[in-house]
Amino acid sequence: MKDKNPLSPHIQIYSWHISSLVSISHRITGILNIIIVTLICFWIAFLFFGNTSYELLQKFFDTYFGKFLITGTVWSFSFQILSEVRHIFFDLGYGFELKTSNITGLLVIFGSFFLTILILMQNLFI
Amino acid sequence: MVQINLPQNSKVQKGKYYKDKTGSKNIRKVNIYRWDPSNDENPRIDTYEVDMDNCPSKVLDLLNKIKNEIDSSIAYRRSCAHGVCGSCAMNMDGKNGLACTKPHKEIKGDINIYPLPHLKVQKDLIGDLSTLYRQYESVEPWLKNSKKNDDKENLQSIEDRSKLDGLYECIMCACCSTSCPSYWWNGDKYLGPAVLLQAYRWIIDSRDEERKERLKKVADELKLYRCHTIMNCTNACPKGLNPAKAIASIKKMLATS
Repeated sequence: MKDKNPLSPHIQIYSWHISSLVSISHRITGILNIIIVTLICFWIAFLFFGNTSYELLQKFFDTYFGKFLITGTVWSFSFQILSEVRHIFFDLGYGFELKTSNITGLLVIFGSFFLTILILMQNLFI
Repeated sequence: MVQINLPQNSKVQKGKYYKDKTGSKNIRKVNIYRWDPSNDENPRIDTYEVDMDNCPSKVLDLLNKIKNEIDSSIAYRRSCAHGVCGSCAMNMDGKNGLACTKPHKEIKGDINIYPLPHLKVQKDLIGDLSTLYRQYESVEPWLKNSKKNDDKENLQSIEDRSKLDGLYECIMCACCSTSCPSYWWNGDKYLGPAVLLQAYRWIIDSRDEERKERLKKVADELKLYRCHTIMNCTNACPKGLNPAKAIASIKKMLATS
């Protein structure tokens, strides 16, 4: 009987909430950050090859794709840090009321963009 | 395991279209998930045009109207119609809830009705909850007390009793558990919000003498810690309870004991 019966639709039909969106983004940025940290290690390793290799990478970071990578990195880390702070409060037992969790979720989403702009304004374009 | 796509036999197809026969000007389209166990066809979505001028306010009334007046073959569970029994839990407009307490006015556009997510469908809107009931049994949801005072009341202080508020109201409708992505992917091992809320209800009961054993039993990587605070459970609960908080309380008790 069990194989014949169909499985009811789940993620295909379930509507998204702020909290579920933040949760899945937290996972995705977590995985991205592992990759990014590895790349940063390679970047630092490149410094040991001297001036020319440094300039090569510097040129890459000046391209639009390079700038996009930097922006994405800053956003990914901003999101992860803010979301992690939210989770620390969860672990302490606070912020479980629907209203509170929606507000903190929105704070994480908008805060991550705000932090990204703030950090980039400070470093990249001045 | 995470399995985003539905299995081949569960892919939903377009079904029949039931045109309105009353000639009403106030029509709404209702899309309902249908699956008939008596043949080998895939599930389908049937669309019904319903005269809303002569329909009471809740989604369950809408379903009753369709069953009585348009298509009597449609199957769903219902009993009390007052949000107490939890039978009519289903997915409406992408969100789990009780059909008897959900006003159809709150739904914009066409009304989409599915069974509770990620369950084996028995027929139409009826899902198989036997796994969840087995898990419920596994937390031994009854009072364990060695005192033999059968002729006296087992009293609790007002403070101790208030700890059960927000827990005892649970009607086990399974709206929360079937809204939880963690429960979708690991439903065979992870207990899910409904059962964990019940587990906490007995852990925190001052009259129960087996708190330690109960905590020990539930402290498991898969049984408890698959909860990643996605909060779909709290968003779904038709009784306004907070399973996410109950699970966090269990985790906190384990971390501090």
